[in-house]
Amino acid sequence: MEYSIGNIAPIFLCPFFAFVINAFFGKKLPRQGDWLAVLAIFISFIFSLRIFLDFAGSTFATDYYIHKVFNWFDLSAGGQTFKVDMGIYIDNMGAIMLLMVTGVATLIHLFSTWYMHDDPRYGRFFVYVSLFTSAMLGLVLSDNLLSVFIFWELMGFCSYSLIGFYYEKEKAGDASLKAFMTTRVGDVFFLLGIVAIWQLVGSVNFVDIYAAIAEGKFVGQQVLGISLATFAGFCVFMGTIGKSAQFPLQVWLPDAMMGPTPCSALIHAATMVAAGVYLSLRTYPLMVAGELTQFIALIGAITAFGAATIALVQTDLKAVLAFSTISQLGYMVMGVGVGSYNAAFMHLITHAVFKACLFLSAGSIIHSVHEQEMPKLGGLRKKLPYTFIAMMCCTLAIAGVPFFAGFVSKDRILGDALFWGVFAGQSKIWAIVPILGFAGAFLTAFYMFRMMFLTFFGKPRDHHIYDHCHEEHISFNSNVPLLILTVFTLGFWYCGTLTGQSFGKVFGSKTEWFKILVEAPRVERFVGRTREPFSAVDTRVKAELPKAVYEHQTGYVGPAAGDEHGIHKAHLIGAIASIFIAFGGIFLAFLMYIKGSVKPLADTFSGWTTALKNRYYFDDFYVGVVIQKGMIPFNRFLAWFDMGVYDRFAIDGWAKVNRVAFRASRWFDDVVVDAIGVDGTGVAVNLFNLVLRIVQSGKIQFYFVVLILTLASYIWTINL
Amino acid sequence: MISLASYLVISMILFVVGLMVMIARKNIVAILLGIELVLNAAALNFVAYSKFVTNNLDGHIFALFIIVVAAAEAAVGLAIVIRFFQLKETIHIDEATQLRN
Amino acid sequence: MFLNTLFVMSALLTVVCAVLVLTTKNIMHSCVFLLGSLIGIAGLYATLGADFVAVTQVMVYVGGVVILMLFAVMLTGGKDFISKAQNLMGLAPTMGNTWTYAVAGLVGLVFLLTNIQLLSRLGTMSKLKNDGAFESTVNKIGHLLVKDHVLSFEISSVLLLGALVGAAIIARPRKQ
Repeated sequence: MEYSIGNIAPIFLCPFFAFVINAFFGKKLPRQGDWLAVLAIFISFIFSLRIFLDFAGSTFATDYYIHKVFNWFDLSAGGQTFKVDMGIYIDNMGAIMLLMVTGVATLIHLFSTWYMHDDPRYGRFFVYVSLFTSAMLGLVLSDNLLSVFIFWELMGFCSYSLIGFYYEKEKAGDASLKAFMTTRVGDVFFLLGIVAIWQLVGSVNFVDIYAAIAEGKFVGQQVLGISLATFAGFCVFMGTIGKSAQFPLQVWLPDAMMGPTPCSALIHAATMVAAGVYLSLRTYPLMVAGELTQFIALIGAITAFGAATIALVQTDLKAVLAFSTISQLGYMVMGVGVGSYNAAFMHLITHAVFKACLFLSAGSIIHSVHEQEMPKLGGLRKKLPYTFIAMMCCTLAIAGVPFFAGFVSKDRILGDALFWGVFAGQSKIWAIVPILGFAGAFLTAFYMFRMMFLTFFGKPRDHHIYDHCHEEHISFNSNVPLLILTVFTLGFWYCGTLTGQSFGKVFGSKTEWFKILVEAPRVERFVGRTREPFSAVDTRVKAELPKAVYEHQTGYVGPAAGDEHGIHKAHLIGAIASIFIAFGGIFLAFLMYIKGSVKPLADTFSGWTTALKNRYYFDDFYVGVVIQKGMIPFNRFLAWFDMGVYDRFAIDGWAKVNRVAFRASRWFDDVVVDAIGVDGTGVAVNLFNLVLRIVQSGKIQFYFVVLILTLASYIWTINL
Repeated sequence: MISLASYLVISMILFVVGLMVMIARKNIVAILLGIELVLNAAALNFVAYSKFVTNNLDGHIFALFIIVVAAAEAAVGLAIVIRFFQLKETIHIDEATQLRN
Repeated sequence: MFLNTLFVMSALLTVVCAVLVLTTKNIMHSCVFLLGSLIGIAGLYATLGADFVAVTQVMVYVGGVVILMLFAVMLTGGKDFISKAQNLMGLAPTMGNTWTYAVAGLVGLVFLLTNIQLLSRLGTMSKLKNDGAFESTVNKIGHLLVKDHVLSFEISSVLLLGALVGAAIIARPRKQ
């Protein structure tokens, strides 16, 4: 298929132009320009769909890519090369990501036109959302870490604006600051990582980084006594930790629900947090080269489990979803760590779909009942039937019930983790990763169904709220987006089989497209790869994979592809365990909240509950210890240094020098400049004035007399 | 008896009288009268030299152009005088000391 | 003889009327005396054989310019206009007083002496006599104007047009 800048750039530019137009003229447009934002993202979706159909169409090629670059600026002089290229890089992963981002964002935009319709700042919301989406699309299209960083920060700003959208509320303002500052910690490391890579590779292009790893440039390089690859990988991964809310920087994401619900859906599903995981997938070869995979797996497992436990005791509808997002992101990062590249990316996509749907459903509930505390809800099943269907499907998906998307992707991650931790022959200590993963999966099923049971089942606990709620009707922008997303929570879209395992195939093995297309970058392929200029039109024909490769790849692509038997065993155990765990969690929730035969946790483990309610005291730790004990004394020290040392000696000492210079210059100014220069000029002007006032009287006859006398004097002078 | 000198003397008298009119009078119209006298004195000189010295008609042509210019000058000058009178309600030359307003 | 008579009468008319222009206290009279002086000059042109110039002098000056002057005098307040500012600021009267005449006389004297000085240098050239042999100049002037002096002729036409438009614009009443 033909690829030129004209059919790739609109993906990113349409929402961006919608942002520009809405930002400046939004108030003058009909309906405050919401149609423009929706139309722009829909056009992006069409273009993305075109690319996706080409990449994931009839033939599969793992090595198919589009890479276009242009020279941003070139400061090379003499032997020194300093050249910065920007460009577009789309491979299979990027194509799938583009489709997911534009598709989910289109539905969220559509939903927003219903959810936000009576908001006083309706137009402004679409301004931010358009910029947010375009930044994410720009990040996905980027071919280098520098432009990734630019769009990364742009998204940081947009999330700041959207979380603080209701800036009248003090909490919203605080939450937006918190989100911005917390992600900033990760961003600083990320920038440091970019610099580290730059100084070694001379480029931050993904392809160049992969090629450098393949050529062994990173081997033996050290910085501050540790391997450069480890350092750079760690720094880049810190960016992921900040952006994707991993332990220990997860504190901002729960507060991010202070923003409007559609923006939460965007942050939690399609854009912000997905960017972090996407980055760690893109830089996966660097993580491997830096031997960081165990660390990453551990961070992911801790996050997955810890966030799940916190979610157990939350009573706010959106808070439960926020912690479940952190938990699911933990699974993705864990997948990256255990080498389950494909499944981690699949979980990113499936999670984006069902989490967007969950948040939009929550938005639908909140908009209908104006209440988000679950203890006050209940029995909404009859009043909101479509929302109930959508939310139920998504909950089944996230809980890991077979036939749904979440089961497929999460089970693959857990299976790989099980193999990696138990069967792959590492130290037994790493079995902690799969154990935490399975425990988190159990808790996920439990708390998600707790949320469902409290919200939709049972008897209404607050009749005033219940009676206030209207019957739900089908409407193109309130619940149709939910139902569209619901369709894609089914598992066979992603794996071609009902269960995600090798049995129960529905469309034959070719529908395992996801598994074939996405694989961890094989760095040796990138050595000497060509790239083409922006203006060129790409007309390469996609080559179909050889049959052998194809069959190999429909099989297992995970860590250590050689040990087929062990992998098979691990995955079978994992799948069975997953199913039991999911149903176990659901059953426990059923017993607690429908039957009432088991007492809720809170009564039995009250101390533990308090800790959970305070989110493991992380916020208190950051405020009380890091900021109060660490940052503030440090600030005091800096202030003392500034005031006591720098001010007293440098500034005041300089002041003394200045005082002497000042006296001299004052004398010079008074005597020379003022008395002679300024006043002297004045006196001179006055004197001339006295003369000229007589001569320049403006009386023409006087001039005439002077003229005649002058003429006469000339004649006398010449003649005599 | 009619020599070049007699024309030159008449011309000189006209010129000096015109000059004195221009200086002595304070009325703008009167000053214009003086200017006419001076111009005529000059024209008379041209014609006289044309007759006695060069023996061609260029002096006549010059005199004609002087008359043309004088007519134009008189028209514009008098228009300015009338405008000035409308603004200041006087035609005293010493009132006309400002370049604007 | 006729030539001499014409010359003397024209010269007398010119000089006497010019002096009266200078001395009369009435601006209206001053204009009329200017008329006389200009007619005298036309006579002098005639004695020089410049028939075309003389006729033009009478038509343009006597018929045009002086009439214009008279209109201007009448439009600006008649014979002895005295403005308020003149009284308050102590300006000289519009037709001059002793002081202005004294200055004018001084300047005139200086210039007269200068001119006499110059004229005395002419020597024998000033003795050139008028031979009285005339022929019509109209034909020749016509040829000269469209041949040798065509450029100045055209320029003067533009000048006249400009003066016409300019005078109309300057003198038109302005709306407040």
